[in-house]
Amino acid sequence: MSDRRDLKRFTYAERVIHWVAGLSFVFLLFTGLAFSHPRLFWITSLVGGGPTARVLHPWMGVLFTASMVVMFLMWAKDMSIQSRDRAWLKAMKHYAVHDKDNVPPAGKYNGGQKLFFWSMAVLGVAYIVTGIPMWMPGGVLGLGPFYGGIVNAMRVVHYLSTVGGGLLMIVHVYLGTIAYPGTLEGMLHGSVSRAWAKLHHPLWQKEESGS
Amino acid sequence: MAQGTQGPQGSLAVKRVSASPDPAPGIRTGPEYAKLIDISRCIGCKGCEVACKEWNELGVEPTENFGSMQSHRDLGPDTWLLMRFNEIEVGGDLQWLIKKDACLHCEEPGCLYACPAPGAIVQYENGIVDFNQEQCIGCQLCVSGCPFDIPRFNPDTRRVYKCNMCVDRVEAGLEPACVKTCPTNAISWGTKEDMVALAERKVEGLQARGFDNATLYDPAGVGGTHMMYVVPHGDQLAEYDLPADPTAAPGALAALGGLRQLGASALGLGLLATALHYLGFGPQAPEPERSGQTGGSTQA
Repeated sequence: MSDRRDLKRFTYAERVIHWVAGLSFVFLLFTGLAFSHPRLFWITSLVGGGPTARVLHPWMGVLFTASMVVMFLMWAKDMSIQSRDRAWLKAMKHYAVHDKDNVPPAGKYNGGQKLFFWSMAVLGVAYIVTGIPMWMPGGVLGLGPFYGGIVNAMRVVHYLSTVGGGLLMIVHVYLGTIAYPGTLEGMLHGSVSRAWAKLHHPLWQKEESGS
Repeated sequence: MAQGTQGPQGSLAVKRVSASPDPAPGIRTGPEYAKLIDISRCIGCKGCEVACKEWNELGVEPTENFGSMQSHRDLGPDTWLLMRFNEIEVGGDLQWLIKKDACLHCEEPGCLYACPAPGAIVQYENGIVDFNQEQCIGCQLCVSGCPFDIPRFNPDTRRVYKCNMCVDRVEAGLEPACVKTCPTNAISWGTKEDMVALAERKVEGLQARGFDNATLYDPAGVGGTHMMYVVPHGDQLAEYDLPADPTAAPGALAALGGLRQLGASALGLGLLATALHYLGFGPQAPEPERSGQTGGSTQA
């Protein structure tokens, strides 16, 4: 239930771009896993079969990359890592077991969210840089051809980045949904309850309340 | 020589299938077959190229004169066989180092190992490596997996093509079209065993004629091939465009084979860990605010 005392957390533009990135990432993760392991190839049937998955995967990658660039421009400033974030990251083991007393209070984003942001920014670059030679091995824009050792090496880096990004995504989705009720609403409707903010982002809640 | 042999030539039971973790279905066994190219007997007529195009009904690719006897600059999706003419000097004499460039049908096929599409590449018991274009997803990873740079992508069909050793002829007890047409018997066809024995005799003959470095090209790094060459100048493999030490699983792809097991397991364990965390620590939600209270209770 929305409440007039709810705090505005994400603008419409932020929510749209977040879901473009999120849904394209899920598509990329699942089709990518299908290509990576014979036991997972059946996943391609969910998106229209092998050839369709092969055609769509890189274009979805372009969409994901574009959304990542926009998110980066929107959020990079908010995500700069401060000394309180470093303290938060040191206390991550307490955070993981819900031992709030030993976790420094967070601002709009906590140290873990900021680390996630920067990790995905680096991985996003890795995906597109290693993905292009695999997408167009015959060459593109005067670069290439990439056939042979380049493509084979890119496959390894692309795959390792996928596993890293996939693990981060599992944690991100878990924390954003069932682990912390009230969080998903922020990304769906734009605002969160005051109590949620006080629990998870007390410094931000104070700023927003002006108290 | 087994040219014109009647009856089936080796079994077409499937020995390996791309992107299939389960054992291949073939249980019938039979001899491996091989094509042997005696480069010393090749006169460069390119009749084999024409026979390949005719039998396989491959379209004509327009070409140009680029100062070579070679018909085209490169293999293509419609050109599965190309006689490469490399002009170099050997001991002060001009030599034409001719290479019949086509799929070597490796015993350990790098293309098949690199392929992510189940059934797009198969290897039969008789040694032929065949592409099933209807299963191909057009990713072209086979091209990068091939140590001989043979498969070629067709952008119109978005599928990859290469020599299939005239598998339809072989199945019917005939030799491949290039073997049939060669006017100097530079190409022989038979069981791998017979072809290795024939090659050894040919190499001895060449050495007796002064080609001291004559050798059989049947590289061990890919488990041997089902198209082999008798090479007169065995010390100049690079000039023939023959890799000295090809491998079916270059370091990166060998690593990927192990990594994908670890990676899939890591993601599965990640999911499991969140489930166990949820069961152990549960959700963390703010205490419900009592109506009328503005700030909410202080919560650590």
